Amino acid sequence: MRKLRIVGQRELRTDAIAKATGRVRFTADMRRKDMLTGKALFAAYPHALIKNIDVSEALRVPGVVTVMTAKDLPGRNGYGVMIQDKPVIVESKTHYEGDAVALVAAVSDEAAREALRRIKVDYELLPAYDDPREAMKEGAVRIHENHPVAEDGNILVTLKLDRGDVEEAFAQADIIIENDYETPIVEHCYMEPDVCIAEPDPLTGGLTVISPAQAVYANRRSLAGVFGIPHNKLRVVSPLVGGGFGGKEDSCLDVSAMAGVLAVKCDRPVYMELTREEVFRTTGKRHATYISHRLAATKEGKVLAVDVRTILNKGAYVSMGGMKEPLHAVTMRTLVYAAGAYHVPNARARSHSVFTNTPYACAFRGFGVPQATFAMECQMDELARRLGMDPVKIRQINMLRHNDRTITGQVMLESRGLGLGECIEKVAERFGWDKALPAAAGPVKKGKGFAVYMYGTGIPLLFEGSNCYAHLQLDGTLSLAVSSTEIGQGLNTVLAQIAAETLGIRVADVVVELSDTAKTPDSGPTVGSRSAVLVGNAVLDACAKLRERMLTVAARYMFAKTDPRDITIEDGVVSVIGKPELKQPLSAVAAKAYASQVPLAVVGSWYPPQASFSAEDGQGNPCHAYAFGAQAVEVTVDVETGVITVQRAVMACDVGKAINPVNVEGQMEGGSAQGLGWALMEESIMEKGVMRNPTFHSYMIPTIEDLPRLEPIIVEHPNELGPYGAKGVGEPATIGMAPAIRNAVWDALGIKINVIPLTARQIIKSVKEHEQGR
Amino acid sequence: MSVEVTCTINGEQHVLPVEPAETLVESLRLRLGLTGVKKACGTGDCGACTVLVDGEALRSCILLTASMQGKSITTIEGLGTPDNLHPVQEAFVEAGGIQCGFCTPGMILTAKAMLDKNPRPSDAEIMEGLSGNLCRCTGYVKIVDSVHRAAEKMAP
Repeated sequence: MRKLRIVGQRELRTDAIAKATGRVRFTADMRRKDMLTGKALFAAYPHALIKNIDVSEALRVPGVVTVMTAKDLPGRNGYGVMIQDKPVIVESKTHYEGDAVALVAAVSDEAAREALRRIKVDYELLPAYDDPREAMKEGAVRIHENHPVAEDGNILVTLKLDRGDVEEAFAQADIIIENDYETPIVEHCYMEPDVCIAEPDPLTGGLTVISPAQAVYANRRSLAGVFGIPHNKLRVVSPLVGGGFGGKEDSCLDVSAMAGVLAVKCDRPVYMELTREEVFRTTGKRHATYISHRLAATKEGKVLAVDVRTILNKGAYVSMGGMKEPLHAVTMRTLVYAAGAYHVPNARARSHSVFTNTPYACAFRGFGVPQATFAMECQMDELARRLGMDPVKIRQINMLRHNDRTITGQVMLESRGLGLGECIEKVAERFGWDKALPAAAGPVKKGKGFAVYMYGTGIPLLFEGSNCYAHLQLDGTLSLAVSSTEIGQGLNTVLAQIAAETLGIRVADVVVELSDTAKTPDSGPTVGSRSAVLVGNAVLDACAKLRERMLTVAARYMFAKTDPRDITIEDGVVSVIGKPELKQPLSAVAAKAYASQVPLAVVGSWYPPQASFSAEDGQGNPCHAYAFGAQAVEVTVDVETGVITVQRAVMACDVGKAINPVNVEGQMEGGSAQGLGWALMEESIMEKGVMRNPTFHSYMIPTIEDLPRLEPIIVEHPNELGPYGAKGVGEPATIGMAPAIRNAVWDALGIKINVIPLTARQIIKSVKEHEQGR
Repeated sequence: MSVEVTCTINGEQHVLPVEPAETLVESLRLRLGLTGVKKACGTGDCGACTVLVDGEALRSCILLTASMQGKSITTIEGLGTPDNLHPVQEAFVEAGGIQCGFCTPGMILTAKAMLDKNPRPSDAEIMEGLSGNLCRCTGYVKIVDSVHRAAEKMAP
C-alpha cells in the first residue's frame, strides 16, 4: 500500500474561508423580493377536535394571496421519514402544538401575520399526554384513531430482544442491581432555524424545494406525493446546513411540505421560515426515556445478564420512532445497546414506543443509544461500588473483546476495529484516574466519573448504501457529486481528501457537489455517522476506477511498454516509479484518455454487508463496524447552590482512522458538549403538550463558560471495510458524557441520582431528600 | 410611515428609509443584502446576529435601525475578503474554529471587538467575552484556540 499523503492530515476545511467571510449562502440568504411569505397557524391546543375553521376574515387582509386548510391540499395529506402519518394540515384533530391548522401566503410578513390572527378555529379539548406511561394505560384516550401502523392503542410498537437464559442467570447471580432511570425530551438547537424556499419549475411542471436538509432523496420520496407530482419532478436542494444533529432529517420535511403546498397553490415562489419559538414548539426532539434496568453479576464482577424495559416518549408522530419490519429505528437501538459496550451472555430487553401529545421524537445524535447507555453505565458504576471495585476495572473485566458476541449475537472482530481497551487505558492515563482527587472543603464537593460506549457505523437497515459521481476534467481537476449534506461535520473536506489520496491529486483540485437531487446521485441520508465511511467508500471506488484508467492510458500511450503497476500518480503528476524523468501531468493523460474513447465519468458505489435484525428476538448483525469510546470527567458540586461544574473531561474514541483529525476532534468536542447539555441543563419542559421554555433564555444550552477545555484522544483500530480504515465518528462522542457526569456526581455527593438533567434544582432536592434519609 | 436614517455601513454612508419598528438585522439582510449577518433566535439570546456598532459588539436582532443615526456599523462583510482575511478570520480558519458556520460571523465579530480592547486575553477572559455567543457544533475548544491565535497574529 502506498504511504498516505493526504488522508490523516489536518487539512483546512474547504468551506472555512467562505464561512469566515460570511459569504456562504444558507437557505435564508437566498430569499428574493418576488417570493411570497408563507406562515402557519399552529394548533392552539395540543390535543383537541377541530369543530370549525373560518378563514373568511383572513382572506380579506390586503396582501394575502391564499389561506389553505386541509381541504385545499394538492396531494396526499401525509408525509414522514418512515411512514406518512404526519398531516401537512390537520383536518379534524390536533395531536401536538406543532400541527398546522391553516397556512397563509401573502406578499409581506405583516400581511401573513395579520391573516393568522384573523383565522377563527373552534376546538373541543381532549386530555393531553406528556408522559408515555400515562398514555399507554388502559383507558387512555387514543391520540390516533386509525393509525396505519400503531400496534395497540397509543403503543406504536413493542420490540423484543432475547438472548441466553436470563432467569437462570439471575438465579445464579451473586449481585442483582435494579434501578429506574429517566432522561428528558431535548431540542437539537441547531443555530440555523428551519426555512424553505419552494418554487414551481416551469420546465418540468414540478417543484423545487430548497431547505437545510439531511436527506434530499428521502425528502423527495416523502414529499412528492404531497405535491401530487412524480418523484423526478420534485427537485430537493439542501444548501450548506447550519447544524442539524438529526433534527433536520425531519423538520425540513415540515417546512418544505408547508411552503411547497403554498407554492403549488399560488403557482409562485414561497419563502417560509420558522421563528426560534416555532422551532422549539413544532420540530422533532430527542426521545425521552423511562428505563427499568436489572443487572445480574458474579461477586468477581462479571456481568451475567441484563433485563431491561424501556418506554420511549414517541410524541405525536412516528418520525424515526420505529416499527416492526423493516424500520426499527430509535426503538431498536435501545434494545441493541441495552448492555452497552460489554460482553453480556444473557439479555432480555423490551422497548415500547408510545404516542403522546409532545412534539414528535425523531433522530437526535446518538439515536437512542445515549439513553440506553446512560442506564447501563449507571448500573456498572453501582456494580463497582457494591463490589468495592474500581469503576475502570469493572469496565475492563466486562468490555467486548475479539470474538465476543454482543447481546444481538454479533461477533466482534479486531479486523473491524475494536479499540475499547485502548480507549479506556488512554483516558485513565491522561485523566490520572489512579490519583486521588485533592480534598475539597466547605460546600463544594469533588468527584470523578467514568463511562464507556459503542456505536454502530451506518444505518442498520436493508437498504443501506451509497453512490457518487466522479468526473475527471481535462485539466486534471475532479468533480465529485454526492447527495449527502455538509452540515458542519466537514464532509466536503473529508471526501476531497479521500478522492485526492486515491486518485493522486491535490485536495485543492477537488470540488464536491452536494445535496441536490438534480445534480447528485443518492448517497443516502446524512445520518447515522455514516457519511465518511459509506460515502467515502463510494468516492474511493470511483476514484480507484479513474486512477486505474489513467494508469492504463499512461502505460499504453505515454510510457510505452511500461506495466501500469509501475506507474504512480501523485499531486497530479503521472510518473514511472523509480524513473522520475518519465512523467506527464495528469491533465495530459486525461486529454489522451478523452481522445481515446476512455470514459472520464464514473459512478462509485459502496454497500456494506447486509444488516440483519429480527424484531422478534433482537438477534442479528445490525452494523458492519462499531466505534468505541471512553470518557472520564471531574466535577465539583456546590451542595448549597446545587451548581455542578465539569472541571475536566477526557474522552477517547476509536474511530478506525481519522481521515481528518481536526474534524474528528471537532466531532468529539461538539458531541461531548451536547452530552454535557443533556446531562446538566437541557429539557423541553412540557405541560399537557405545551412547551414552557421555547427560547434560548429559558431553554439553556452550554455556553463557552459551561465547558472545561475538552481533551479528545483519537484512537485508531482500523476497520477493514472502511475507507483507509475509518469508522463513523459523528454521534459516538455524544454518548459518554452524561453517565460519566452522573457517576462523578455520585462520587462527589455519595448520592445516587437516576434522573437527568442534573439541574441545580434537582441537586438541591436530592441532597435534601438524602439528608432526610429517604 | 418610514423614517430616514443616515449611518455608515462597512465604511460606506447609507441613507436608509426604514420602518420605526424595523430591526437592524432585517435592514442589513433584507434591504442591503448583507446576509453574512445571521438571524438565529430573534430574542437577543444567541449572538449569531452580532455586528459592530462604533466598535461595540451588539445584537442586531434587538436593535432598531431607527436608532442607528450617525453610527458606524461593521458586518462580517466589512471585515476581510477571501483574498485578504482579517487576522481573526484567518485564525478561525486555521484553528478549526468553524464547523457549520452559522454562529461564525457573530463569533468572529465579538472576538474582534474583544481583542481591540484586550489584545492578549486569558482563557477566562475569552470565555467571558464569548459567553453570549452560542455555538452548538464545536464544544468551543477550537474557538478559544482561534482567539488566542488571532491575538498572536494581531500582536504588534
